[in-house]
Amino acid sequence: MPAAVEAHQLVKHYSGRGGTVEAVRGVDLEVATGEVFGFLGPNGAGKSTTVKMLTTLMSITSGSARVAGVDVAADPDGARRRIGVALQEAGLDPRQTGRELLVLQARLFGSSTSAAAERAGELLELVDLVEAADRRIKGYSGGMRRRLDLASALVHEPEVLFLDEPTTGLDPASRLTVWDEMRRINGRGTTVFLTTQYLEEADQLCDRLAIIDDGRIVREGTPAELKSELRGRRGLDADPTLDEVFLDATGRTRERSAGDVQEVQA
Amino acid sequence: MNQAVALAQRALREALRTPEALLPTLFIPLFFLVVNVGQVAEIFPSGTSFLEGQNYAAFQLPSSILLAASFGSAALFLVEDIEGGYFDKLRAAPVSRTAIVLGRLAAEAVKSFAITTAMVLVSVPFGVSIASGPLGFVLLLVLTSAWAVVFSGFMQLIALKSRSAAATNSGSLIFFPLLFLTPNFVPRDLLSRPMEIAATFNPVTYIMEGLRSLILDDFEWAPIGRGFVVVAVLGVLMVVLNVRMIRNYD
Repeated sequence: MPAAVEAHQLVKHYSGRGGTVEAVRGVDLEVATGEVFGFLGPNGAGKSTTVKMLTTLMSITSGSARVAGVDVAADPDGARRRIGVALQEAGLDPRQTGRELLVLQARLFGSSTSAAAERAGELLELVDLVEAADRRIKGYSGGMRRRLDLASALVHEPEVLFLDEPTTGLDPASRLTVWDEMRRINGRGTTVFLTTQYLEEADQLCDRLAIIDDGRIVREGTPAELKSELRGRRGLDADPTLDEVFLDATGRTRERSAGDVQEVQA
Repeated sequence: MNQAVALAQRALREALRTPEALLPTLFIPLFFLVVNVGQVAEIFPSGTSFLEGQNYAAFQLPSSILLAASFGSAALFLVEDIEGGYFDKLRAAPVSRTAIVLGRLAAEAVKSFAITTAMVLVSVPFGVSIASGPLGFVLLLVLTSAWAVVFSGFMQLIALKSRSAAATNSGSLIFFPLLFLTPNFVPRDLLSRPMEIAATFNPVTYIMEGLRSLILDDFEWAPIGRGFVVVAVLGVLMVVLNVRMIRNYD
């Protein structure tokens, strides 16, 4: 069985007014089928850029990437049929109803109108939005929007689901609901590629994770392995938290992270 | 094709649910029609040779119809899609890039059909008739809708390039030279020489003359044909450029 996600020396350069920006500088990744893989990093580290390259939304400067066995640059439509994408901005059309959005999404993936309506009904039940299904999305709360976005990424039963900071800005209850959905989706066999800034979230959900900083992978392993490695290297009495692993990996102190101001160019 | 139809239906729902964007498309051109006719009709009474027996409102109607078809509000909805992330959702789906472009443009054509029909119906009580008859009326709707597609295509290029509502809005200002450097108030041969030269190089001139011919004459194929050739060439160009821009969108 091929890896769900493979990237080899993935590089992304932008041409900006201030010259060339090296957003991603040679990322190697391998995510096994069925895993929940966490992709962590500080703001501007290259997380979203990497996800955009893996999901065909951004061209690759050099290197290669395969998702569900398909080369994303050579066969982008083939890759798109196998992935579901819920990006940082919940990509929803506020003037449509939740049901209309899901029906449209299913039709874009090739379903007939009746099959699309049926699939939309199933998904609305899955994310508990049946009552709000025929209301316009502009009236939805942040949590409802996230759940609908998640549902829209699932219309075609993707093999790999990319979730880019799916719980950012959500209240604790909505965050837990999204976590439950993620576990349920993964339980059905879907590989989940999750980027997040919440280390507790990564600790709770991820089988393995990678930390990216300044466009390069600086740590990779299971949460337990990463903690154990830091404990051994520093001679600590107890396992450190994932926060401490993160700060160690990115060379940041708590003070610096809190006060960090970075310019991110896309 | 199914994808383009689904996206066109979505764009039409969007337009119907945003009446505040749709209604000015009808009322502002009607306002200009009333004002322009009110100011100039005395100078050009019904017996004026280029009016072909109709009144000045019939001569002015194509300008107002073209103004209505040139609001390009679809491009602003596209910017909203880009800013809100829905455009990326579409790009991440195995949707033909041509369908993404054609979906919105087809919806613009349908909107233009409806608005042009309303404008012609409103002008009938003021003595305007379509001299080329029902077939001419249909051709008038098709030609106007094709122009709406061209102009929306142009505005979408600005939206895709700038990804900014402000820049897209500014881009719509190009319609003013396009509309006014034309035989807007009098036929081309009555314009001053510099204006005549400018109008000759302006593609909107040929669409306006085609529409005017359908309203004032009983099928003169030369101006009608020129109008259709212009929108066909520009329409293909806009679709090709839009598709290319979406394919290269990073």
